[in-house]
Amino acid sequence: MLAILLRRLATALPTLLAVILLSFVLMRTAPGSPFDSERPLDAATRAAMDRTYGLDQPLIVQLGRYLGNVLQGDFGPSLVYKDFTVSGLIAQGLPVSLTLGGLALILAAALGIAGGILGALRPGGWLDRWIGFKSAVAVALPSFVTGPLLVLVFGLWLSWLPVSGLDSAAAWILPVLALATPTAGAVAKLTRTGLAEAMVQDHVRTARARGLSPLTVLVRHALPPALIPVVSYLGPAAAGLLTGAVVIETVFGLPGLGRYFVQGALNRDYPLVLGVVILYAGLILLFNLIADLLYGLLDPRARG
Amino acid sequence: MKVAGALLVAIVVAALLLPPLLPWGYAAIDWNAVRAPAFSPGHLLGTDSVGRDLLARTLAGTRVTLAVATAAALVALVIGTAWGATAGWFGGRIDEAMMRVVDALYALPFMFVVIVLMVVFGRSVLLVFLGIGAVEWLTMARVVRGQVLALRNRPFILASEAAGAPARAILTGHILPNIASVAIAYLMLTVPQVVMVESFLSFLGLGVQEPLTSLGILVHDGADDMDIAPLTLIVPGFVLVATVVCLNRLGEGLRARMAR
Amino acid sequence: MSVYAVEGLSLSLNGAQLLEGVSFAIDKGGCTALVGASGSGKTMSCFAPFGLAPGTPTGSARLEGAEMIGLAEPALRPIRARAGFVFQQPLTALTPHLTIGSQLAEAAGTRDRSALAAMLDRCGLPEAKLDQYPHRLSGGERQRALIACATAHDPALLVADEPTSALDAGLRHAILDLLDRFRERGMGLLLVSHDLPLVAKHADRVVVLDGGKVIEDGRAADVLERPQHATTRALIAASPRLDSPAPLLPEPGAPLLSASGINVRFGKLAAVSGASFDLREGEALALVGRSGSGKSSLARAVARLGPCDSGTVTWRGDPLPPRSRMRAEHRRCLQPVFQDPAASLDPHWTVQQSVEEPLRHLFPDLASEARAERAAAALDEVELGSAYAKRRPATLSGGQAQRVAIARALVADPELILLDEATSALDVLVAGRILDLLGKLQASRRLAILAITHDLAVARALCHRTAVMDAGRIVETGDTAATIAAPQSQALRDLVSAS
Repeated sequence: MLAILLRRLATALPTLLAVILLSFVLMRTAPGSPFDSERPLDAATRAAMDRTYGLDQPLIVQLGRYLGNVLQGDFGPSLVYKDFTVSGLIAQGLPVSLTLGGLALILAAALGIAGGILGALRPGGWLDRWIGFKSAVAVALPSFVTGPLLVLVFGLWLSWLPVSGLDSAAAWILPVLALATPTAGAVAKLTRTGLAEAMVQDHVRTARARGLSPLTVLVRHALPPALIPVVSYLGPAAAGLLTGAVVIETVFGLPGLGRYFVQGALNRDYPLVLGVVILYAGLILLFNLIADLLYGLLDPRARG
Repeated sequence: MKVAGALLVAIVVAALLLPPLLPWGYAAIDWNAVRAPAFSPGHLLGTDSVGRDLLARTLAGTRVTLAVATAAALVALVIGTAWGATAGWFGGRIDEAMMRVVDALYALPFMFVVIVLMVVFGRSVLLVFLGIGAVEWLTMARVVRGQVLALRNRPFILASEAAGAPARAILTGHILPNIASVAIAYLMLTVPQVVMVESFLSFLGLGVQEPLTSLGILVHDGADDMDIAPLTLIVPGFVLVATVVCLNRLGEGLRARMAR
Repeated sequence: MSVYAVEGLSLSLNGAQLLEGVSFAIDKGGCTALVGASGSGKTMSCFAPFGLAPGTPTGSARLEGAEMIGLAEPALRPIRARAGFVFQQPLTALTPHLTIGSQLAEAAGTRDRSALAAMLDRCGLPEAKLDQYPHRLSGGERQRALIACATAHDPALLVADEPTSALDAGLRHAILDLLDRFRERGMGLLLVSHDLPLVAKHADRVVVLDGGKVIEDGRAADVLERPQHATTRALIAASPRLDSPAPLLPEPGAPLLSASGINVRFGKLAAVSGASFDLREGEALALVGRSGSGKSSLARAVARLGPCDSGTVTWRGDPLPPRSRMRAEHRRCLQPVFQDPAASLDPHWTVQQSVEEPLRHLFPDLASEARAERAAAALDEVELGSAYAKRRPATLSGGQAQRVAIARALVADPELILLDEATSALDVLVAGRILDLLGKLQASRRLAILAITHDLAVARALCHRTAVMDAGRIVETGDTAATIAAPQSQALRDLVSAS
């Protein structure tokens, strides 16, 4: 178990470093600069600006300085949100984004796995087909379509739920629902397919031959191997939810990190974009690490 | 699968052939009919906040989205097949190193990578699909590599080697035909993925740029205007979801058929 | 008084009649064996009454007097619990993510550790295995664990579907002896097997099935020694017997192939260590040994179809180049036939394309008509005929596919063919016919043969000499009949006693 963890870390850390390197070099060598967006600056001002932000140094020096700062948790100043550091923006926005993504992940996993099991209890029955259809549609419902539609129906037409801001707990419902829908559909489908494959395996027949009840056979013998693809999907899915949160924050006007990121990207706020990319890459590597550990719980052969 | 296929064909045919027959082009502004409701004269589905025909815009957006998606999926197919087949064929250290790269890239927030690319190189349709194709090839590479690896040790490949077939003949004669069906099924599944990514980027204003339009842009515009003209959100949203559902079903069906 | 009685059992699925009027009975403490070729309905007859096979059976099946046919799943479950089941594949029959102990507890209905340990103990497994996961156990241990689970609740009947066929020969009798001990306590045993020597030794009644019908049944000794039905006689004739007369083999000629000091390593594992052997024209050598003894790796290294770390191979005195530098004139000498006929042919290629493949590369100057002619001749030689030329592998039976593979091996006129377990994936009857065909070809073409097998009967039918492999080394070589009659190594003694 520890060996797997160490081996994963050995891949994850170089990956993270490569992400930082690549994004850094790309951004610094890119044509254009954040100062282009407004009025053209005269050469002297431009040089002064570059000096202030260290942009006149050789690339390798800039990189070294940047890496040193990142290690201390300092991602530099934001070029667009004047008076704010990138770290400050992250500290403000990340809790909102993580709560949103985390709640959506939990909801999606719970709904999806439950749906998959319900469908598998009576294969080919009406419930199975209904859930199958629902999940096929859910997978194709991007949050940027569901989000506005939910706002339209529940917020504007029915006025049941708040549509923006975070003034009450109820305000979380629509954003989380919109974000969780496609992931829940995918999880249900994966669970259902995994169970269908597991149910025809020899060890499940052995368990049935033992005279166990159908539910025991399903949950105790068929479900754990069926969940293996679900777990390996949830790592990337967590990444997808964080990405999806970008849109949801825009649609529902939530003060999360995603909104800063999009604004940063549109305005070429390099330090901000770089900081968020590094942070998210780290988070996603962490999720994949957790998924690998869960994997070992489900399949003793993976424990090495 | 039949229903999905028929609906998809209908959407594609409509997007390709219908626009010239409509009274208004997708960028033309009808000053007399701003935010017209559905079934207005000349505007079957009404118009948007600046008086552009919603049906024409939706069809044009569908065309752009599908074109970008198909091109990007093809890019993914080429890169993924080449990478996966090379890794699977050589095996051993080469395979391990190549798949490490794929694993590492898998762990990246790929949407952010695309966004970074957009930011760095500016926004163009070409770049949108190149960028998306370049991150969507990973699954294809894994699938192809798994197939090649399994095939590599099949007795008929060994028998072919014993029959004196050179590596090139084994690859083109045995390996590629045997992975083609699976690769095509995954191509079908990559297209809806790309449709989603493209729409996502366009929604954020990072993808296709005006005056070109795409389903993502339409949904975004519709969302801004939905309290007054809900159709501007519902119509492109429905077309997007229907397209993705149909493509998924076709891909899944194809894959299930190939697996036998 | 019979524990289990089946009468007029019929089953049809999707319009195909799988079973028709099957009847048999098992006495308390008795053992009835169902035998027959694959597809004869043996396994269906076992599992259909218990609701463990697809389809709805008709007729009657009574376990301890309780009728099972016509019952729905919930009503069937308590009756099914009076029987225990042992399946063919011990590798996959145990749940991988649960320890042996928790699966045994589930079957026994108790969590008492000493009781569970006792159940393992009577199946010959130590208590420590309770805490282990199935993948830590060997094949034989897993089968014992499965038997422990199946017998944990003292069932009235044990249904064992080919319980030994996935195991090494040496373990087969040990597993059956274990089952016999449970019979002494009054348990009935329903045994499915194609291994007739095993059946003869352990069963007291034999039921022969063919096409879903019972064609013959009676006391085991009567049926096996005085078979009434032609199919039964064919089954018995195809079954390997070590006491059959030695075949007439062609006289060996000049030295052909010589391998010396072959080493093959897979990572840290030495698959083959310093193995050497010679082969003359028209001579056949059997490489026998348990699975994992390195015989396949050795043969592939020599044939330049697998990795070879060191050692030399000469062909008529000239050294063979390494795998990556083998040219057409080298490949012409030697052609392989593999174990799994279904995987031996490219599913996209027609029979003719597959058979022509060696000609295309090894004789590139041959015109396409001449190629087709030689392919047709090769198909004739394996008794398939040109009607098969346009077919694809999916439409061929296992035996037909293996004949195509043999035709492909022969079409380039090699002097040596490598048989890598060429008959062991086939049904007994089919395997017997393929073995006959190979014997004919050996005589008519004066083929040299390198046969890899764990089945001594194959060695006896085809091979002048036999080399025994164990843990990557050749431990014994000699004249086939003499070697088998007086085995020197433990590895061969195990193989002989298991046959």
